[in-house]
Amino acid sequence: MKALYYLPLISLALSTTAPGQMPSSFDASGRSTQAQSGVQNDDPMRTGETPPPQIFGMEMPLLDPSNDTVSYAGAKFDVGNNAVVRERFEKFLSQTPDDSEQSRLYRKRLEEILTYTERHSGNAAKIGGKTLVKIGLGLYNLSDYPGDGGQAGTLASAIVSALDAQRANRRRDRANAELDAEIDKLIVKTNSLNNRNTERGAGGGSVGGIRNPNGSSGATSHTFMIASNTSKIAEKKAQQAANTASNQATIPIAKLNYQGLVVWFMLQRRYDHAVIGARVYRHIFRDGDTRMNLEKDSDAYKMFTGISGMPPTINTVDTMASNARREVDQSIDAVLGALAQNKLGEATNRLITAVAIGEYMQSVATFPVEHRKRIAAYWQLRKRALTALNARDYGMVEEIAAEMKKMDADFDDSQLLSYTAGRKRQSNFALRSARKAFAAGNDEEFRRLATEAAVIWPRNPALDAGEEEIARVDSYEPLMEEFRRLLERNQFRAIYNERSRFENVAADPELKKKYTEVVEFVGATDIMLASLRTGAESDRTIGPCLAYEQLDILMKKDKRYADDKVFTDAYNQYASQAHDFVQALRDGADCEARGEHGSALSNYYRARCFFPKSTLAREGIDRVTGVIVNAQY
Amino acid sequence: MARSSRRGRNKKVNSTPIIIGVLVILVAVLASMLFFKPEARSAAPKPFNISKYRQDGSRFASTGNRYVLEGKVESIETRGDNRMLAVSIRGNNRELLPLLVLGSNPLQINITRGDTFIFEVSCRTGRDSAGNEVKGILVVNDVKTK
Repeated sequence: MKALYYLPLISLALSTTAPGQMPSSFDASGRSTQAQSGVQNDDPMRTGETPPPQIFGMEMPLLDPSNDTVSYAGAKFDVGNNAVVRERFEKFLSQTPDDSEQSRLYRKRLEEILTYTERHSGNAAKIGGKTLVKIGLGLYNLSDYPGDGGQAGTLASAIVSALDAQRANRRRDRANAELDAEIDKLIVKTNSLNNRNTERGAGGGSVGGIRNPNGSSGATSHTFMIASNTSKIAEKKAQQAANTASNQATIPIAKLNYQGLVVWFMLQRRYDHAVIGARVYRHIFRDGDTRMNLEKDSDAYKMFTGISGMPPTINTVDTMASNARREVDQSIDAVLGALAQNKLGEATNRLITAVAIGEYMQSVATFPVEHRKRIAAYWQLRKRALTALNARDYGMVEEIAAEMKKMDADFDDSQLLSYTAGRKRQSNFALRSARKAFAAGNDEEFRRLATEAAVIWPRNPALDAGEEEIARVDSYEPLMEEFRRLLERNQFRAIYNERSRFENVAADPELKKKYTEVVEFVGATDIMLASLRTGAESDRTIGPCLAYEQLDILMKKDKRYADDKVFTDAYNQYASQAHDFVQALRDGADCEARGEHGSALSNYYRARCFFPKSTLAREGIDRVTGVIVNAQY
Repeated sequence: MARSSRRGRNKKVNSTPIIIGVLVILVAVLASMLFFKPEARSAAPKPFNISKYRQDGSRFASTGNRYVLEGKVESIETRGDNRMLAVSIRGNNRELLPLLVLGSNPLQINITRGDTFIFEVSCRTGRDSAGNEVKGILVVNDVKTK
């Protein structure tokens, strides 16, 4: 209880908030519902915490300022996420402050009564019926104002009831006094009759003090009268005892009823009424006993003693209600100060506190409408952020956080942004792995990872892109089949000629690689052929030889060229144009293969005569010369 | 064939023109053989048929195997003790003939590139280190300046 204030509230809405705690109260992994309700299910039995105390069967909500949560009914409420608090606070923000003449008059009268009770409660001389009558009339007048909710009238009636009880007691006291007098008279009279009987008995004519009607009638009548008096005395004493018993029973009941009402005002957050009621208590019950009639073992008793360290009295209520009033007023001052500095988050925080604690306080009820609008705009953003966070729409959360930052430079969005960034990254990682699984054809793993990515961040834009990509890949399946078929047959030229159509196979990473290879290969081939064609046309002697040789070398290096009709056509064309050169090379190779090295060398020499820079001729010459020169003859 | 001969005898054909024809052919063959003998050519050198040599050089090794050629040295490639000459035959600058000068056969004349010489060559078949035939190689036996 050390850091706790108890706030007696009628509804669960009794809580305060901290704007900066918004993200911490959400757990998108699965506690969003709790977050929506604002209830943190910390079971006191499980956590080992002491359950909140109860008073008159109602559990007292406890505010823990260290984390801005209120414990109530075994749960902790974070103000920012409590649906009821939100509803009440939003209602307050949407209301226009009641600044009517009637309202002003109500507040003025209430203030007067408070001042009046304060002034008179400490002065013993002024304690009494006149003060009470004035207060009671004032309270009845207050009850005319609808915003009071009839609370003042209830208090006035309670005062009247308590006074009635007091009056009844006084009537019974007076009756007892009268009975005392009557009893005294009867005693005196009875004693006198006894004495006279005694005297007559001493003078004769009497037997046992009782005369017969003929000779001793006086003594007999005295005896009956004495008996009658004695009986009357007994009756009156019994009546007195009944009155005393009634008196003794009435006052505690009256006190209990009155104290209950005062505590009820506290629960209702009608602190003004609670203060008035507590202060009027001394005027009503003047026996000086202000103790609260609470069971010593009850939680409420412990709560009161925990706050004051003393047995609970009606003054404790006075103190607590006064503190709450001051707390609310200070909160409102803080709100105005924060608004002046554009610290909307801080202002919202303090205003929620003020509304939650003292919704009916004058400073709260008259809070200016323009300030309400500013805070309402900020509050709406917070609400949207909470909703977006619950919906795991992290992109939206970041947008809202940016807006809030614009509105309030002090808004600490670091925690929020760290959280959203982390979740986004998590989703993207899962999606990346899903893509890999998809590319690898692992449908099960792909489905699992894609689902994981969607669960973490349902509005991930990459999910839509991925979905479109999958749909596109599916629609390209026939095209991919055709592509694969052409690829198997090395019909690269066919692919190249329809490269814009086959471009869509790039949806499959593996095929994309092949597609790129094919397009680059054929494209490079075409460029090379164009270059050779230019050379061959410019020099019709050497050009065709050069072109043939280039193509021949390439074709021997890479079998793909042999499957390209354009390439082979060019090859054959140049072979025809450079017939002698080509024939010499071929004859050389033929002779070389047959072991006719002399003839082979002669052919290579001949080839070189047609194309002096021929690589093939040079290589043949070098090769065959080596064989000839190194042979044994 | 037997039946045909029998038929021929039965027809009593005149065989004189046939016998004369056969004799003419025999004379022609003998004359040609004498004409292509190296000795006959050395007397009057004829152009070396490079074209035929390019097709099947080893054939030149089986027909007497001694030739005299006049040609200009276009290039010389020395490998170890041996030299390979690329010689262009007069009148045919599109063809080069490879002539091998073995180091084991020291020549009296210094062969230089760009000069024309008269080469006496023989067509030989050698063996490489793996034992494979290296056929139709024209090896220079002697050389003379022109």
